[in-house]
Amino acid sequence: MADGGADCGAFRRLGHLPSGSGARLRLLVLSAARRSVALPLVASLVALGSMVAAGCTRESAGGGPGLAAVDDFGDTVVVGRTPRRIVSLNPATTEMLFALGAGARLVGRTHWDVYPDSARLVPDLGNGLQPNVEAVLATRPDLVVLYASEDNRAAARRFRAAGVGTVALKVDSIAEFRRAVLLLGQLVGDTARARTVADSVARTLAAVRAATAGLPRVSVFWHVWDAPLLTIGAGSYLNELVEIAGGRNVYRDLPSPSPQITLEDVVRRDPDVILAGPEGARRIQTDPAWRSLAAVRAGRVRLVDTAIVGRPSVRLGEAAVSLARLLHPGAVELRP
Amino acid sequence: MTRLGDLSAVRFWLPAAAALVALLTAAVAFGAVPLSPHAVWRAVLGAGDETTVAIVRSLRMPRAALAALVGAALGMSGAALQGSLRNALAEPYLLGVSGGAAVGAVSAVALGVAGAAAVPVAAFAGAAVAVGVVLLVARAARGRADPRVLLMAGVIVGAFANAAIMVALADAPPNTTRGALWWMMGSVAGADWPRVAWLALYLAVGGGALVLWARDIDVLSLGEEPAAALGVHVERASRRVYLAASLLAAATVAAAGLVGFVGLVVPHIARGAGLRGHRAVLLGAALCGAALLVGADLAARVLRAPAELPLGAVTALVGVPFFLVQLRRASA
Amino acid sequence: MIRFEGAVVRYPRAARAAVDGVTLDAPVGRVTAVAGPNGSGKSTLVRALLGRIPVAAGRVLVGDDDAAHLDRRTFATRVAVVPQREEPAFPLRVRDYVALGRYPHGGAWGAATPEDRSAVDRAVARADVAALAERRTDELSGGEWQRVRIARALAQEGRALVLDEPTTFLDVAHEMAVFELLAALAVEGVAVLLVSHQLNLVARFAHHIVLLNRGRVAAAGTPADVMQGSTLEAVYEWPLVVSRDPAVGAPTLVPLRAARRLP
Repeated sequence: MADGGADCGAFRRLGHLPSGSGARLRLLVLSAARRSVALPLVASLVALGSMVAAGCTRESAGGGPGLAAVDDFGDTVVVGRTPRRIVSLNPATTEMLFALGAGARLVGRTHWDVYPDSARLVPDLGNGLQPNVEAVLATRPDLVVLYASEDNRAAARRFRAAGVGTVALKVDSIAEFRRAVLLLGQLVGDTARARTVADSVARTLAAVRAATAGLPRVSVFWHVWDAPLLTIGAGSYLNELVEIAGGRNVYRDLPSPSPQITLEDVVRRDPDVILAGPEGARRIQTDPAWRSLAAVRAGRVRLVDTAIVGRPSVRLGEAAVSLARLLHPGAVELRP
Repeated sequence: MTRLGDLSAVRFWLPAAAALVALLTAAVAFGAVPLSPHAVWRAVLGAGDETTVAIVRSLRMPRAALAALVGAALGMSGAALQGSLRNALAEPYLLGVSGGAAVGAVSAVALGVAGAAAVPVAAFAGAAVAVGVVLLVARAARGRADPRVLLMAGVIVGAFANAAIMVALADAPPNTTRGALWWMMGSVAGADWPRVAWLALYLAVGGGALVLWARDIDVLSLGEEPAAALGVHVERASRRVYLAASLLAAATVAAAGLVGFVGLVVPHIARGAGLRGHRAVLLGAALCGAALLVGADLAARVLRAPAELPLGAVTALVGVPFFLVQLRRASA
Repeated sequence: MIRFEGAVVRYPRAARAAVDGVTLDAPVGRVTAVAGPNGSGKSTLVRALLGRIPVAAGRVLVGDDDAAHLDRRTFATRVAVVPQREEPAFPLRVRDYVALGRYPHGGAWGAATPEDRSAVDRAVARADVAALAERRTDELSGGEWQRVRIARALAQEGRALVLDEPTTFLDVAHEMAVFELLAALAVEGVAVLLVSHQLNLVARFAHHIVLLNRGRVAAAGTPADVMQGSTLEAVYEWPLVVSRDPAVGAPTLVPLRAARRLP
C-alpha cells in the first residue's frame, strides 16, 4: 500500500483515475509487465503516472477520488485502494457499512456490534475501546474503522504504523452520523449509496420534526442506567432525537453525553414522561423510591426499543419515529 | 498529669448525640428539591402532597437512616479490630472484607444478574468467603491469632481480589465498568426501608456481640501473654471478635459498597475524645460513625448537584483532616 | 501451690526439649526463684504454666488440680502471672488498667462490683501506686510501670504470684523495692514464683532457688546450697567466684575478667 509521494493533503486512491485513458494505459502496462522482467520499473512508472493523473479534486462521482478527508483524530485518512477487508470497531459504523453494501467485506467487528443480524456472522474481535491490536491485524485488514475516543489513539497509531488504512470517527451526534456515512461511502467506493442513506435519514428526521412542530413539548427523563443513575445530556444524539420527536430532555442543560444525577434532582425537574429500557423500566416501576415522581405514579413510563435507538446509525429515522410515537401517541401518524 | 475522669465522657455523649440528631434532621430537610421545614415535618408524618411525602419518606429518610447505620457499624467494627489486633491502623476491611465483597459485587454487575438484591447478596457472600480464607490461611501459617499473620493474609487476599476484579471488568461494556467503579466507591443512593431493616438487624446482633465482648477486647489489647495471664482464651476470643467485626463490615459493604476511612478514623475520634475502655469506645465510635456518614452523604448529594459525589470519596476528604489532627494530638 | 512434676516441653521443630523433666515446687508463703542462663527454659516454664504451650510429658499442678484441666479463668483467679514484657496498644488510666486484673472474676457483662472496687483499691495500695492511679499508662517510667503491672496482678487476688523477669530495666532502688514487696507478699501467704537472672538479688530474697541449665535442673535448694562456685561456673560457663559479705548476709556471685581465666 503505497503512500503517494506528491502530497496535497488529499485523500487519494491510487489506481482509480479520473478519465478512462489512464485506466487503459495502466491495464496495458500491467499486462506487459507480466511478461517483462522490468516489472519494478514498470510498476514505478505506473505509479508515477497514476499519481500525476489522479490529482486532487473535490468532485465525488461513483468511485472517484475522495474529498479532502481528515478524520476525527486529526489524521489524514489514507487508503491504498478499495478496501476489501474491513474491520469496524463500533456498532454504528458496522451497521453503516452493512447499509452501504460493504457487509460482505467486513472481517472483524466488536463484541457488541450485533446490528443488523447478519453482523453476527462477522468475526468478533473483542473490545471497541482499546482494541486488541494483534487480533485485528491478524485478520489482515486494509481498513480499520475506530471510534474516535482518546482510549483509541494508541491503537490508531499502531494500525498506521503497520501500514493499515485507519479512520477514527466520532459518531455521537446526528451530524457526525451523516459525515461518517458519507466518508465511509467514499472509502468503500459507493458514494451514491451513501448519499441515499444519509438523505433518507435526513428526510425522515425532517418529517418527524415537522409533524411534531405544532404539538406541545413533552418533558422527558431518559433513564440510561441505575447505579449510578445516568441519563442523557446535550452531548448525546438521543437528546437531539428527543427534540426532533417533540420532546424536551429535562437534562439538556448538562453538556456531557451521559451525566450522572440523583433521583431527587429528577423529581425537582418533574418530567412528564420517563423513557427507559426493559430493565430500567422494571426497576422504576417496582422501587418505591421512584414513586416520588408524578410521572411514575401516573403510569407514564414508556419502554424504548434499544435495538432501534441504541446507536446513532442508519436507523436514526426509525428511532425518531418510534420516539415520536412514545411521546405523542396517536397524535403522530407516520409511515416508517 | 492528665485527668481522665468521667466528666469527659459526659462531655462527649451529649454533644455527639446532639450532632447526630442535627445531622439527621439536616439530611431529611435538605436535598435537590427545596422544601419548607413545615412541609418536611408534615411529610415525615405522612401528610401532604404525594411527591413531597415520597421524597421525604422514600428518598431522604431511608438514605439518612442507612448512612447512620453504615457509619455506626463501620465505627464499631474498626474499634473492635483496632483493639483486638492491637493496631491503631486496623480497619474493618482489613481481613479481606473489601476485596471479597468487591469480587462478589463486580461479578454480579458484570454478569448482569437481575434483581435489586443480587449485588448486596453477592457482595456479602464474597466478603464472607474472603474472611474465611484469611482465617484459614492464618491458621495454616500457624499464626493462629497472631495479628501480623492475619494482616498479611488479608493483604494477600485483597491483592488477589483486585486482580480478579480487573479480569472481570476487562471485557465489560462501558456502563458496566462505570457501575462497578461506582459501587466500589460507596453510595447510599440505593437505600430503601427493607435494606435499612436488615442492616439494623445486623448492627443489633453484630454490634451487640461486640459490646458484650468489650471486656475481652480490653484484655486482648494488652497483648497475647497478658491476656492469657488474665484468663482469656486468646485464640477463641480473638477469632470471634474478628468474625463479628468482619461480618458487620461485610453487611455494610453489601448495603452501601466500599465506604473507606470511617472504620479507621472514627475509633480514633472516640478515643481522642477521652473514652476509655472498649465498651465506651465501641458505643462512642458507633455514634461518631453515624454522625460522620450522615454528614458525608449530605455533602455528597449537595456539593456537586445535580451529580452525586461517591460517598467513599467524601469520607476520605473529611476523614483525612480529622486523622491528621488526631495524629498531632497523639504525638504531642 | 504450684508444682511442676517431670515437665517436658518441646517447641515445634526444635532439636532438644526446652524443658526436659523439670520438677519444682513453689509453696505458699515462700519466694521460689528459677534462675539460669539464657535459653535454659525459664520463660518456657512460665508459658507452659499459662497453657500457651502444651506440656509434652509430666504435669503442672496448681494446688491439687492439673493446670491443663483447669478453665483459664479459674486458673487466673488462683495464679496471677506478670509476663516479661507488656505494652498496651492504647493508653489506659492506671486505675482502669489495674481493674482489668478483676477480669477473671467478672461475669459476662463485666460490671464492677463493690468487691472488685475494693480489690483494686487494695492492690493499688499494696503495690504502692496510689499516687499514679489517675495517670496514663504511657506516661509512666519503667519502675512505675512495673509496679503498676504488679498491682494488676495483685488485683487478681490469687494465692500464687508468678513473675517473669520483673526487674529488667529497673535501677537499683526500684529493683530492691520490687523484691522487698515480693518478700512481704510471701510473708502474707502468697506463693511467689520468680523467674530471674539476677542471681544476687534472688539469693537474698528467695527461700528456694532452682537453677536450670539446658532445660534440666542443675541445682536446687537454699541459696547457700545453690550458690556454689563450681556449680555456677559449670552452668554459666564463665569464671566467677562466690563471696559472702557479712553486711549482706547472702552469697554474692562475682564474675571474673576473661584474662584471669585459669586452665
